[in-house]
Amino acid sequence: MNIDPRVRIGPLVLSNPVGVASGTFGYGAEYEGLMDLGRLGAIYTKAVTLEARAGNDAPRIVETPAGMLNSIGLANPGLEAFVARKLPELRRLSTSVIVNVAGSSEADYLRVVEALEEAAGPWSPRSGAGGATGQEGATGVDGYEINVSCPNVAHGGLAFGTDPAQVERLTRSLRAATRRALIVKLTPNVADIVPIAKAAEAGGADAISCINTLVGMVIDTRTKRPALARGTGGLSGPAIRPVGVACVWKASRAVGIPVIGLGGIMCADDALQYLLAGASAVQVGTATFVDPRAALKTLEGILAWMEGEGLAGIGDIGALFGRS
Amino acid sequence: MLQFDAQILGNRELAPGWKELVLRWNGAAGHPHAGEFLTLRVSSALDPLLRRPFAFASFHEDPDGASRAGILYQVRGKATRILADLGTGAFVDVLGPLGRGFPDAAQLEAEGSRPLLVAGGVGLGPILFLAAQLEAARIPASAAGPALIVAGFRNSAAIPRAGFPAGTVTCTDDGSSGYRGTVLDYLSRELPPGNWRLMACGPAPMLAAVATLARARSWEASLCAEQWMACGVGACMGCALPVPGGASFLRACVDGPVFGRDDIDWGKEGGGR
Ligand SMILES: Cc1cc2nc3c(=O)[nH]c(=O)nc-3n(C[C@H](O)[C@H](O)[C@H](O)COP(=O)(O)OP(=O)(O)OC[C@H]3O[C@@H](n4cnc5c(N)ncnc54)[C@H](O)[C@@H]3O)c2cc1C
Ligand SMILES: Cc1cc2nc3c(=O)[nH]c(=O)nc-3n(C[C@H](O)[C@H](O)[C@H](O)COP(=O)(O)O)c2cc1C
Ligand code: FES
Repeated sequence: MNIDPRVRIGPLVLSNPVGVASGTFGYGAEYEGLMDLGRLGAIYTKAVTLEARAGNDAPRIVETPAGMLNSIGLANPGLEAFVARKLPELRRLSTSVIVNVAGSSEADYLRVVEALEEAAGPWSPRSGAGGATGQEGATGVDGYEINVSCPNVAHGGLAFGTDPAQVERLTRSLRAATRRALIVKLTPNVADIVPIAKAAEAGGADAISCINTLVGMVIDTRTKRPALARGTGGLSGPAIRPVGVACVWKASRAVGIPVIGLGGIMCADDALQYLLAGASAVQVGTATFVDPRAALKTLEGILAWMEGEGLAGIGDIGALFGRS
Repeated sequence: MLQFDAQILGNRELAPGWKELVLRWNGAAGHPHAGEFLTLRVSSALDPLLRRPFAFASFHEDPDGASRAGILYQVRGKATRILADLGTGAFVDVLGPLGRGFPDAAQLEAEGSRPLLVAGGVGLGPILFLAAQLEAARIPASAAGPALIVAGFRNSAAIPRAGFPAGTVTCTDDGSSGYRGTVLDYLSRELPPGNWRLMACGPAPMLAAVATLARARSWEASLCAEQWMACGVGACMGCALPVPGGASFLRACVDGPVFGRDDIDWGKEGGGR
């Protein structure tokens, strides 16, 4: 059977369901020598903020059982440098580019998206359709992932992502600013992810992605201090996968828009859990640190599994949930 | 830079807790230079999860064109314990060469100063590699005098049998071998005057101290930092080291790990070994 691996996210067609998660892949160029980036379904960039951010004090990362904590603090060169230095590189890529956007206020997010709309120019489904990027018509920005879920900054971040009213208002104002795919990235650090997911949908998001990292702490019993300079950090890696799968399972049943699943995906079997739980696409994050080719191996494994199951499209996977 | 499965050609003990790992190197990855490093995934289990960075300690091209790369490592925790148990013939997942190493022989030659190579702890491997590369480039014969290697250890039992070049000054805290005292004691009290050019790798407190000394004596200096790493390729911003003043950070993995004397706030490095 011929498998069609493409996935639709609002106006955007991704060439396949496996992308690389924000903050774990830089702006793509870092991994260019190690793999064919064109085979990725999407690259979700490191967060872009209005002003450059130096990030949090060191140490910023520490390993945990089957995971890691990070408190990077959204270190990034800022909007202006992103447009000047990174956007031209992203335009060359033959994969869809989703720019992860973060801010301290609603106005910050809006200014970043407006400025990127202007810098990248008008977008049409043709320029972003799977495989057509990186060629004529590629703008370097095929969509936005709105990070309302970063646990590592004092202002914005999590504060937005835990309040449905704020998520809806922010999403609505960004929706008015772009025709590109608009994805809202949710935090698992809430009692119930459903109201937040519904708020993103009501605000006009094309999709939601979940999950961002879970707040955690490691204490060095020798120094009696937290291992990270900032104290707490965000937990990622295989340790959080069951939390992510449960969030996707809940959220995908509550909204009509696609859900992009991530959190602890190391291999195809992990990704298939997300797809069975109701995700339309997935992202590979921490696993790339462990094996730069993890995302591509995950894609190959998904396609092989689909072949074995006799499935034609990614959307058919979720329909198998609960059946044997 | 390349990711590949490297066969282990040797993994022998050099002293209690010190081992040398020799790997069949894939020529397509390129030649490593002293100060550059590789990362290893020591097992496919999920714990330990992250790859571990190790500096190159040797590199040899055999007459048949095949090449070998070595690292000197200390058995410290989960990953290095697993590594220590891997036998000859086994394969390990390698990514490298990574990072920016020490100034090369041509640059040192141009400076015309006398190389002073200082190692502490797991900084030994890259310093021995640097010494070997300078030797191969005949830098010891440069006008200002031969390279001097100063290496510090806790005591004589902790000194790995790593083949130190003749003339190496070993320092032990308890005086059980060589000079009694730290490398810093040696450098500040015993070092003959000269047109020195410092290159050092070791624990963070040692680097902070030798950076201060280098500043006081107006020596050029290149120091090899250590920081926790996740990606090793510049993508995660995890390995940040503060610049003096603290307004911004540099990445140990791609901006370093070898930095100039005044590039990093060595005293505030945070982490280190
Ligand atoms: C660029 C670079 C080059 C290195 N070169 C060498 C080398 O040539 N030989 C060698 O033996 N080691 C080297 N190291 C250190 C080596 O990576 C660690 O010893 C190793 O990761 C320990 O892994 P583990 O699981 O055995 O220990 P873990 O269980 O991870 O750690 C044991 C203890 O060691 C300390 N530690 C481990 N890694 C780090 C770190 N990166 N920063 C600060 N503290 C740490 C911690 O205090 C921890 O409690 C290098 C590190 C870097 C960043
Ligand atoms: C080092 C690091 C940096 C991250 N930076 C960002 C970021 O800038 N924006 C964002 O939305 N998520 C960021 N994340 C979260 C990841 O995109 C992802 O949601 C999370 O790590 C869970 O997936 P994983 O377990 O596959 O890594 C970061 C994660 C890590 C480990
Ligand atoms: S280890 Fe990821 S940026 Fe240096």
